[in-house]
Amino acid sequence: MSTLISVQNLKKSFGPKVILNDVNLDVNEGEVITLIGSSGSGKTTLLRCLNLLNEPDQGHIYFEDSDLMDPNTDINHLRERMGMVFQSFNLFNNKSVLDNCTLSPIKVLGLSPDEAKKRAVKYLEKVGMKDFISANPKTLSGGQKQRVAIARALCMEPKVMLFDEPTSALDPEMVIDVLNVIKTLAQEGMTMVIVTHEMGFAKDVSDRVLFMDQGVILESGTPDEIFNYPQEERTKQFLKRILSH
Amino acid sequence: MNDLLMSLPDQGEFFKTLIYLFVTYYKVILFGLGITVLLSVVGTVGGFFLAIGLTGFRTLEVDKKRDTLVIKILKVIGQKFAVLYVTVFRGTPMIVQAMIIFYGVAQANLFSWWSPLPAGLIIVTLNTTAYISEVLRGGLESLDVGQMEAARSVGMTKSQAMRHVMWPQAIKNALPGIGNEFVVNLKDTAVLSVISVVDLFYAVRQSASESYRFLEAFMIAAIMYLILTYLSSKLINYLSRRMSQTGEANL
Repeated sequence: MSTLISVQNLKKSFGPKVILNDVNLDVNEGEVITLIGSSGSGKTTLLRCLNLLNEPDQGHIYFEDSDLMDPNTDINHLRERMGMVFQSFNLFNNKSVLDNCTLSPIKVLGLSPDEAKKRAVKYLEKVGMKDFISANPKTLSGGQKQRVAIARALCMEPKVMLFDEPTSALDPEMVIDVLNVIKTLAQEGMTMVIVTHEMGFAKDVSDRVLFMDQGVILESGTPDEIFNYPQEERTKQFLKRILSH
Repeated sequence: MNDLLMSLPDQGEFFKTLIYLFVTYYKVILFGLGITVLLSVVGTVGGFFLAIGLTGFRTLEVDKKRDTLVIKILKVIGQKFAVLYVTVFRGTPMIVQAMIIFYGVAQANLFSWWSPLPAGLIIVTLNTTAYISEVLRGGLESLDVGQMEAARSVGMTKSQAMRHVMWPQAIKNALPGIGNEFVVNLKDTAVLSVISVVDLFYAVRQSASESYRFLEAFMIAAIMYLILTYLSSKLINYLSRRMSQTGEANL
């Protein structure tokens, strides 16, 4: 198993507030990693640093052959290979479902409209949204939007998928559809880093669970280790609080 | 013409005078009205396209880490220019801009074709650019930052994201404001008569000064302007409603 992403001594502050304080993380190919922790612990910022939506202050991130902190690295080419799914979906409001999926493959990867459409149909089918191909995003429910957003990211055929709390903005009954899609991807061997508050899902899908607290990865291990035998006091407190209701 | 003036209705015959003046001067008045519409259309359309460029300058962002020094400097110059442009053109009356530009260019002998109408078209375009640029900036800023992030996350460059995702939505948001600028132009181009552009106001003033019936003449102007602005507002509302149904503003 080779390392796909390597994060070394990553630091990030917003003004005086330290968000990431010396984070180290290796993501192996085919691995599914979930990041858990209370809000403000730095999970989302860490994820957003991986594709440079947030610019780290210090440290290193290596992805395949690129050094992300090198100013000469082509960040657009880097992002082509890293799919991202946002909490608030962020579908392009001015485009249909199909065009959301084909825009970047055509403009960035240089696919012909036909090839791009074929690809879009394939991934929309995978997420169960093929029937909505010509729909306007505004007419979709949250769960449907999020599945289209996943298809849009998959259409770039990325090496890794980053999920930023993909179900946090969804009604409870929509959550399951989205989680099922992500589980399918996990079974197919997609490398994924997922920020989530869904503990059951994290237990199910992860190869490795990372507990973040105050800008550091406090504890990491298999789901069994983290959820059943947490070592750190903060991890125990967090799990107790979140699992008690 | 003097014959016609001889048969002017008596003072106090308001409606008769109104009709009489219109019938006598309708060619000049309608020509002026055409020029007013021309100034407003050219000003708004030209201003719109220039404003896209100006707003593009205004929203340039320096990437501290990746931009070379030259790019950084150019971006800052672009930003400052856009801010200065908007400040100057929104901060001075168009009537003053008209005087400075028209006589300035005339005195400098820059263009052999320089005359009131082309000068007027350029002045109203430059002025409208500043206003529409602010409307467009508002349209861009009202968009969710997630739209840009999503576009960048699938590998688009900033300019691809602007072109395919941000601008179409921003322009759609800005359409009512741009329509408003058109209506404002219909009225405000009246000040261009100061550099002898023969617009509706100029034409009416001519009829007034020849007949000495100022009230009636300018009442004709008021009615004409009102018809223009009323119809334009209706048209703009109709177009905005249709746009919001069909979705996309195409670039």
